[in-house]
Amino acid sequence: MKKSRAFSTVLSVICAVAFFTILSFTLTSCETRNEIKIAVAGPFTGPVAAFGEMIKRGAQLKAKEINAAGGVNGKTLTLVFEDDTGKDKEASLVAERIASNRQILAVVGHFNSSCTLAGKPIYKRAGIVELSPGSTNVRVCVGSDWTFRNLYRDDFQGAFVARYIKNVLGDIQKIAIFFDNDDYGRGLKDGFTSVAEDLGLEIIAAEAYDRDNTDFKAQLTSIKAKNPDLIFLSGLYSQAGLIVSQAREAGITAQLFGADGVDSPDFLTIAGDAAEGTYVSTPFVFELGGPEAQRMAVAFEEMHEVAPDTWAALTYDAVGMIIEAIEKGGENRTAIRDHLASINSPEKGYNGITGLTYFDENGDCTKPAYVKIVKDGQFVPAEGQMLSTE
Amino acid sequence: MAQFLEQIINGLVLGGIYALIAVGYTMVYGIIQLINFAHGEIFMFGAYFAFLCVTTFGLSFWVALPLSMGMCALMGMLIDFVAYRPLRDAPRLSALITAIGMSLVLQNLARLIWGARWRKFPADATPTLLTGNAIPLPGGAQVSFLDVFIILLAVGLMIGLNRLIHLTKIGKAMRACAQNRIAASLMGIDTNRVITVTFAIGSALGAVAGVMVGLREVTEPAMGYYKGVAAFAAAVLGGIGNITGAMLGGVVLGVAEALGAGYISSEYRLAIAYIIMILVIIFRPSGLLGKSTATRA
Amino acid sequence: MPKKLFTPKTIIFVVAVCLFPLLAYGSDRIVDLLYERGLLLPLPSARYILRVVVMACLYMLLALGLNIVPGFTGLLDLGYVGFYLVGGYTAGLLMARLGWSYWIVLPLAAIHGALWGLLRGAPTLRLTGDYFAIVTFGFSELLFRIVKNEEWLIGGPNGFVNDIPAPNLFGLELYKYWQQYYHILILLGLTVIVVHRLQNSRVGRAWAAIREDERAAESMGINLREYKSLAFAVSAAIGAVGGAFFAQFQVNISAGAFEFWESIFILCMVVLGGMGTIKGSVIGAGILGVLGELLRPFGGARYLIFGIILILMMRFRPAGLLSAREQD
Repeated sequence: MKKSRAFSTVLSVICAVAFFTILSFTLTSCETRNEIKIAVAGPFTGPVAAFGEMIKRGAQLKAKEINAAGGVNGKTLTLVFEDDTGKDKEASLVAERIASNRQILAVVGHFNSSCTLAGKPIYKRAGIVELSPGSTNVRVCVGSDWTFRNLYRDDFQGAFVARYIKNVLGDIQKIAIFFDNDDYGRGLKDGFTSVAEDLGLEIIAAEAYDRDNTDFKAQLTSIKAKNPDLIFLSGLYSQAGLIVSQAREAGITAQLFGADGVDSPDFLTIAGDAAEGTYVSTPFVFELGGPEAQRMAVAFEEMHEVAPDTWAALTYDAVGMIIEAIEKGGENRTAIRDHLASINSPEKGYNGITGLTYFDENGDCTKPAYVKIVKDGQFVPAEGQMLSTE
Repeated sequence: MAQFLEQIINGLVLGGIYALIAVGYTMVYGIIQLINFAHGEIFMFGAYFAFLCVTTFGLSFWVALPLSMGMCALMGMLIDFVAYRPLRDAPRLSALITAIGMSLVLQNLARLIWGARWRKFPADATPTLLTGNAIPLPGGAQVSFLDVFIILLAVGLMIGLNRLIHLTKIGKAMRACAQNRIAASLMGIDTNRVITVTFAIGSALGAVAGVMVGLREVTEPAMGYYKGVAAFAAAVLGGIGNITGAMLGGVVLGVAEALGAGYISSEYRLAIAYIIMILVIIFRPSGLLGKSTATRA
Repeated sequence: MPKKLFTPKTIIFVVAVCLFPLLAYGSDRIVDLLYERGLLLPLPSARYILRVVVMACLYMLLALGLNIVPGFTGLLDLGYVGFYLVGGYTAGLLMARLGWSYWIVLPLAAIHGALWGLLRGAPTLRLTGDYFAIVTFGFSELLFRIVKNEEWLIGGPNGFVNDIPAPNLFGLELYKYWQQYYHILILLGLTVIVVHRLQNSRVGRAWAAIREDERAAESMGINLREYKSLAFAVSAAIGAVGGAFFAQFQVNISAGAFEFWESIFILCMVVLGGMGTIKGSVIGAGILGVLGELLRPFGGARYLIFGIILILMMRFRPAGLLSAREQD
C-alpha cells in the first residue's frame, strides 16, 4: 500500500513539474512573428551580477537604437535575457533553453569563460552562434565553428602588458603579480609571466586571492616585504579596487597596473583616492574610440544613469555584429554563422565602437589594446600607447 | 621580522572578526544544537545597516554602530521566532535545512534591495580616530589605527560577554539551558526567553563584526558566506557550544590563515587554516576546549 | 515483508518513465509541425526538458549516495561534493587527456571515489556530530582547492577540463539527450538496487544500530570501524559515479561545479525527502532538482523563493516528506 502511495506521489510530482515548466514558458515567451529574437546570456544574478548588469544595459541600449532606426529588416528586435548566474551548470541549462528555442537566431554571451565553455557543446550541436563579449580564456573558441568572441585572449593581453611595461614605463625591474585565482586571473598571469621573463623583467612574487575574499592584507604584507617596483593586478575591478586601497594603507608605494578586468567606474569608487596613478590596459578607451564611442557613452548615461564600462561597450558591439550578420547574411542561424566566419580580415571587419573586429579560423579576434591611467579620480588615456596587435 | 609581526597582526584582526561571528554560532548551538547558517547573513546585514545609516541618513559612525547592533539583534530574534521556534522539537537536520533556507532568503533579499555592487564605506564618514596614520612598530613594521581598534574592540566585547555569562542572572540561565534545556525549564527558567536573548546577543556581536568588515574591507551581499563559513569552522575548532573556545578558535584560524597565506601559499589561504582545523579535531575530537559530547545528526 | 511489485500503478509508472523521452520528442514534433503552419505553441522543447530531467536524475543518484552516511549511519556529511569532484575529474582527465573508454573509466572512478571515502573515513572514525561534519567540509574544500590550483594536474586554470568525449558504445556516440536519459536511468536503477540490498541486509541493520546508538551497537558486537568504513566507501563510490556521468554529460567542466553549495544542496534533498529512505532521497532530489528551473521566471527573486519553499516544507513536514523513523 505504502509503495503505491509513494509512486503516485512521484507521478503527481512529475505532472506538477510538467505543468509548471509549461507555465514558465508561457510566462517568458509572448509570441509575435514580426520580430527578430536574439538571446543575451550572462550572470544577471549571483556573485558576479555587477558584470551582468552592464552587459544587459549595453545590449538594451543597442536594441533601443536599432528599433528606433526601424528595426532589423523592418522587424522589431527583441532581446531574450537568460541568467547563467556565473555557474557552468546553470549555463548549460540556459544554453539548452536558448538553443532549443526555434525563434532565437543567435546568442550574445556568456561572460565567464567557464560558462561560455559549458554552453559551447550545446550551441555547437544545435547549430547556433555564441558570440562572447567577455570570455578571454585561451580555450574558449577552439574546436567549435559556432563560438566567437569580440575581444582578445588572456595570453595576448598578458603579453601586451609585459611589453608595455618594458617599452613604455622603462625603469621597472622587479614585478609582483597579484592574481585572481580563477580562469581569468590565472590565464592572464601565465600570459604575462612568460613574456615578461623573456623581456628580462624579474617576477619576484605571484600571490593569489579568491574572488569571494575581501581581505588581502596577508598577501599584500608578503608582497610588500619583497619591495617590488610594480604590482600587476590580474583580476576584476571590485577586488582590484579593494586591493589598491588596502595596498596604499599597508604602505606599499609601488606602481600599480591592472588589466581590462579592472577597467570599470566601480574600480574608482571602491579604491577612492588610492586609485590615483594606476595604469589599466583595456580593449578600448572611450576617449580614443572616435565619435561613435563618445556618442554611445552619452546615450548610455542618458538611458541608464551610469557611465558605461568595457563590458557594456563590448556587448553593444556584439549585438551590433549579430544584427549586421542577420541583415547581410539572412534570418537563420547558419547564415549568421557563415557571415561571421567570413569576417576574417581587417578589410571585412566590423567597425564598432570598440574598434575593428574580425575573426581568425578559431573565432578568436585580434584587437589592439590601449592603456589608461587614473588621474584626478578619472580614467584618462595614458600618454604612451602601443597599438600593435602582434 | 617586520613581515612576521605584520602577518601576526593581520591574523589577529581576522581572528577577532571570526571570533565575534563564531560566538554567535556557538551560543546558539550550545542551547538548541542548531548550526545557524543564517548567522553569516546577519553579519552581512549588520554591515549594510551601518552603511545605510551613514550614507542615506547621514548619521555619525558612533551612532550607526549601536543602531546596527540593535537592528541585527531584532533581526536575530525575529528569525528565531519565525523560523526556528516552530521546529524546536523536530529532528536537528530539519532545523538545519530551515537555517539554510533562511540564509538563501536573506542573501538574495540583500541582493534585491541593494544590488550586487560592492559598497565601500565612505571615507568622510569614517571617524577621524580610525583613519589616523599607521603606527610604527619595532623593526619597520606598521599597523593601522583601524586594525588596532578592531582587535581592542573584539577583546573588549569578548571580556564583556564573558562577564555577562558568568556574573548576571540571564547568563546563569543561559549556562543552565546549555547544560540541559529540559532540566532548566523544570527549574523555572523561561527557556524561550533565554533563547531569544541568546539570538539577540549573538546577532549584535555579528553586527559589530559586519560593521568592522564594512569599514576595513567592503560591504556586499555575499560577504556573509566566506567569513560565515570560516567563523563556523572556528566555532567547531574551539569546541562547539563553548564560548571561550569560539574566541580561541577564531584567533587560531585567523592567524593560521594569515601566516599560511603569507608564508606557505596564498592559493591555499583558507585551506591551510582548514588543514590545521582538521588536524586539531582529529587529535582532539571535541575541539580545543569542548567537552566530549555524543550528539548525532 | 515482500510486497507485490507489479501492481497496476507501478507498471504505469515504469512504462511512463521508460517512454518519457518518446513523449517529449513526440510533443516536440507536434510543436514543430504546427510551427511550420504558422502556429506557435508555448511549449518547452524536449531537449531542454530532458536536460533538466537528466540533471534531476543525477541529483537523485547523488542524494541516494549521500543518504547512506547521514541517513543510515547518522553522521552529518557536509563534504559530499568532494567525491562527486573526484569522480568528475577522474573521468574527465582519463577520457579527455588519455582517451580512455568511458566504460573502463566509470568503474575506475567508483573505485577511486571509494578510496577517498576510506581515506577520509580512517581518521574520522571516532568523531561525532558536528566535529565529523566540519572535517568532511574541510576535506571537500581541500579537494576543491587542489583542482582549482594545480594546473599541472588538471591542465587548465580553475579546474578546466575541455572536450570530454561522449561514451562510445560499439562505435555509437551516446551524447543525445534520450541516450543520456537512459544512461542515467540505468545508473540510477543499479544504485537503487545496491542501496536497497545493503539497507535490507545485515549491513543495513548494523548501520541503523549505529545510527540509533553507537555505544549500544558496539557492545552488541558490531564492528564500528568496518561498518562505518563500508558506509563511507559505498557512499563515496556512488558520488564518484555521479561525477563521472556529469563529466561526460557536461563536456567542459570547471571547479565551479563542485562548490560547497552543492554539498548543501544535496543534503537538503536528502533531508527534505526524509532521511534514511530510498524513496525519500529520490523524491527530495526530484523536487529540488527541478525547482530551480521552475522558479526561473522569477529572475532575481528565484533563490529567495527557493529559500522560502525550503523553510515552509520543513515547517510543515519537519521529518521530511517520507521518513525512516515514521515508517518503522
